[in-house]
Amino acid sequence: MTPIFDDDARATIATAMDAQVPGAAALGSVEYVEQLLTALDHDPPHLWAAPGDWAGEGPAWLELGPWERQAWTQRLGDVRAVYQRVIEGEATPADERIVHAHACEATYGDPAYGGNRHGGGWQRIGFPEPLFPPTRAPQ
Amino acid sequence: MTDCDVVIVGSGPGGATTAEVLTRAGWSVVILEKGRNHLLDLTPPFASRRHFANDEVAATRRHLLGPDPLLEPRTYRRDETDGERILVGEVNNLPSTVGGGGVHADAKLPRFREEDFHLRSTRGPMPGAAVEDWPVQYDDLEAHYAAVEISFGVAGEAGTNPFAAPRRNDFPMPPGPDMPMAVVSAAAAQRAGFHPYRAPSGVNSVPYDGRRACMDCGFCGGYGCPIEAKGDPVAALRRALITGRCELRPEAFVTDVLRRADGRRATGVRYLDLTGYPTPPVREVHAREAVVLACGAFETPRLLLRTGLGGDLVGRFLTNHFQTFTVGIFPEPTGGERGRSVTHLHDDLMIDTPALRAAAQSAGLPWLRGGVVEHGSGPGPIDEASTYSAGADHLEAMTNSALRRRIWAFTMQGEDLPQAHNRLDLDPSVRDAWGFPAGRVTYAPHAHERAASAYAAPLHEAIMRDAGAQAAFSATSPPQGDLTLQATLGPLGIAPSSRHVMGTARMGTDPATSVVSPEQRLWEVDNVLVCDSSVFVTSAGYNPTLTLAALAHRAATLLSGGKS
Ligand SMILES: Cc1cc2nc3c(=O)[nH]c(=O)nc-3n(C[C@H](O)[C@H](O)[C@H](O)COP(=O)(O)OP(=O)(O)OC[C@H]3O[C@@H](n4cnc5c(N)ncnc54)[C@H](O)[C@@H]3O)c2cc1C
Ligand code: SF4
Repeated sequence: MTPIFDDDARATIATAMDAQVPGAAALGSVEYVEQLLTALDHDPPHLWAAPGDWAGEGPAWLELGPWERQAWTQRLGDVRAVYQRVIEGEATPADERIVHAHACEATYGDPAYGGNRHGGGWQRIGFPEPLFPPTRAPQ
Repeated sequence: MTDCDVVIVGSGPGGATTAEVLTRAGWSVVILEKGRNHLLDLTPPFASRRHFANDEVAATRRHLLGPDPLLEPRTYRRDETDGERILVGEVNNLPSTVGGGGVHADAKLPRFREEDFHLRSTRGPMPGAAVEDWPVQYDDLEAHYAAVEISFGVAGEAGTNPFAAPRRNDFPMPPGPDMPMAVVSAAAAQRAGFHPYRAPSGVNSVPYDGRRACMDCGFCGGYGCPIEAKGDPVAALRRALITGRCELRPEAFVTDVLRRADGRRATGVRYLDLTGYPTPPVREVHAREAVVLACGAFETPRLLLRTGLGGDLVGRFLTNHFQTFTVGIFPEPTGGERGRSVTHLHDDLMIDTPALRAAAQSAGLPWLRGGVVEHGSGPGPIDEASTYSAGADHLEAMTNSALRRRIWAFTMQGEDLPQAHNRLDLDPSVRDAWGFPAGRVTYAPHAHERAASAYAAPLHEAIMRDAGAQAAFSATSPPQGDLTLQATLGPLGIAPSSRHVMGTARMGTDPATSVVSPEQRLWEVDNVLVCDSSVFVTSAGYNPTLTLAALAHRAATLLSGGKS
């Protein structure tokens, strides 16, 4: 995962994330945001993880239809603008709600999305490893 | 030139059941589904596509199963005094995908009771509500209920719910394992004089129909099943496809019903092929016998209104279930992280009792009915985390986990009475990505629903406390009272969160007061059938899917010349 923000910007986002959900940054929340913002650079996009193949090689990624791609292009443009305001210290209350949502997803969502490093978010709240995480091959 | 005997719009439980019946009778069908296909391969042997995982991000945050509200916004207002709308986004959204809402429902599949089909006769009129008897009664549907239970694969236990309607056959499967906390809450409900029972569920308790038994993974309601243990409606779709007489076209958004020049007979449909971008090609499917609309009770009236079919009542009498959530917070974890979301129900508040009559009287109403009550677990960790305020205490709140690990909830699916002004119509200015008017819901509950909720909530809170809860409280959806920012941003939102949508093309025997006949045919173009919960005359207080599928089974049987 190549960083898309410079070090200062990453530090600002990390602080904003930690202010929402303490410890989010250490669990990979900035990487989560970067993976989200660059999701459409991949083919298939790294937006929806699916069970890995039978060899168990980590998550596969599902194709988007052309209209879904249009919606996500628009949505990710909006998200990018939110983080630009965060970096510039001009985040609105609505922006903060989005950062909060992302901090929650990054901390407690599947590690396939770039956050919840090594399942640490789940471990710290005693959440049991899912039986069918996207990172496991279908049984 | 025709393409098939029948074109079916929508591949959810209603459309899939219709396809299964018609193809078994030797008819050819084309199913058009606007959503994408994550469910099954479209070539033999129609295997699972294996797109589903225990993944809260994709399922609940990223619209994997659609509809994406940026492409297909819906709007909501409580009544006309709200102006044109107070919300644009998600309203009663069910998935837009091959399999429809069945894919991620957790599949409590109870039958309605006899009384639910003739409420007007047994309970009498209700001021301000259009309570009518159905033209179809329980006895007309019993065999169809049984057939759908076999098709979807319903696990359950006959004879344990004293209020259940009579059934000729046992369930195809025994019930699956109980969720441990449901055993505790069921015992408390029993001590309060209620009669809880194991929920009939469209989830395999044993290997069935070539599909695996449920693993109680805990990601059930709201998620596609990674191992196809849920049969609704993948089992019916696969059986239709296997006949070789069913073609399923995903990403096909039907925009119009084609008619003969005199307008009296439908000849097919027109659709946008959404695999094309940015200008989706317009295509047509021509059918010899009939057009079946199974778009769900939100999209079917939207299509009818767009095409000018069905008459003035289309969209009116919209019902949801008025949901009352009673939440118990327990000192110890309730174990809801594994299991099928809900394993037990009770429906005592659907029954006419002196206590309910007294409650009705004190509310100034002739009668009261509650709804089926689901004993269920809490949300996933992302949903829980989103509920707590930001800041230093967030981790502590997550670790204490009052709203996930230590929660247990009763959800009463309160019977919602039909009112003409509760309706689905076309929003005057909000449009979808293809330029068609968005569906707009105008909905506020009747005094009956509010009174039933007010009666049920303290009873359920007392049961929660008796089950060991440290605290118990209740909330409704939609919320009552003033619109606050808190309600707007809260997890339930301001629009009804119920995914049970019904009544928008009601059936009857009189064209002046109904949209479809007892055979579910549009009065004005009788080879257009509606095979979803739009046709419900009243909402009953039970999960609707088995009943809408039984009705679709009956309508398709009649259409193809079989016995009802
Ligand atoms: C989380 C969740 C849990 C639920 N749990 C239960 C439960 O336990 N028990 C229960 O009974 N019910 C439950 N439900 C409700 C259940 O999903 C619905 O009752 C059921 O899916 C309705 O079936 P349907 O076939 O009428 O419509 P749908 O399932 O909505 O299917 C309609 C299909 O038609 C397609 N469509 C619509 N318009 C068009 C068009 N113009 N062109 C082409 N295609 C179109 C849609 O994309 C959709 O796929 C639940 C729902 C949710 C979301
Ligand atoms: S709980 Fe069972 S039926 Fe539900 S998704 Fe998990 S394995 Fe499938």
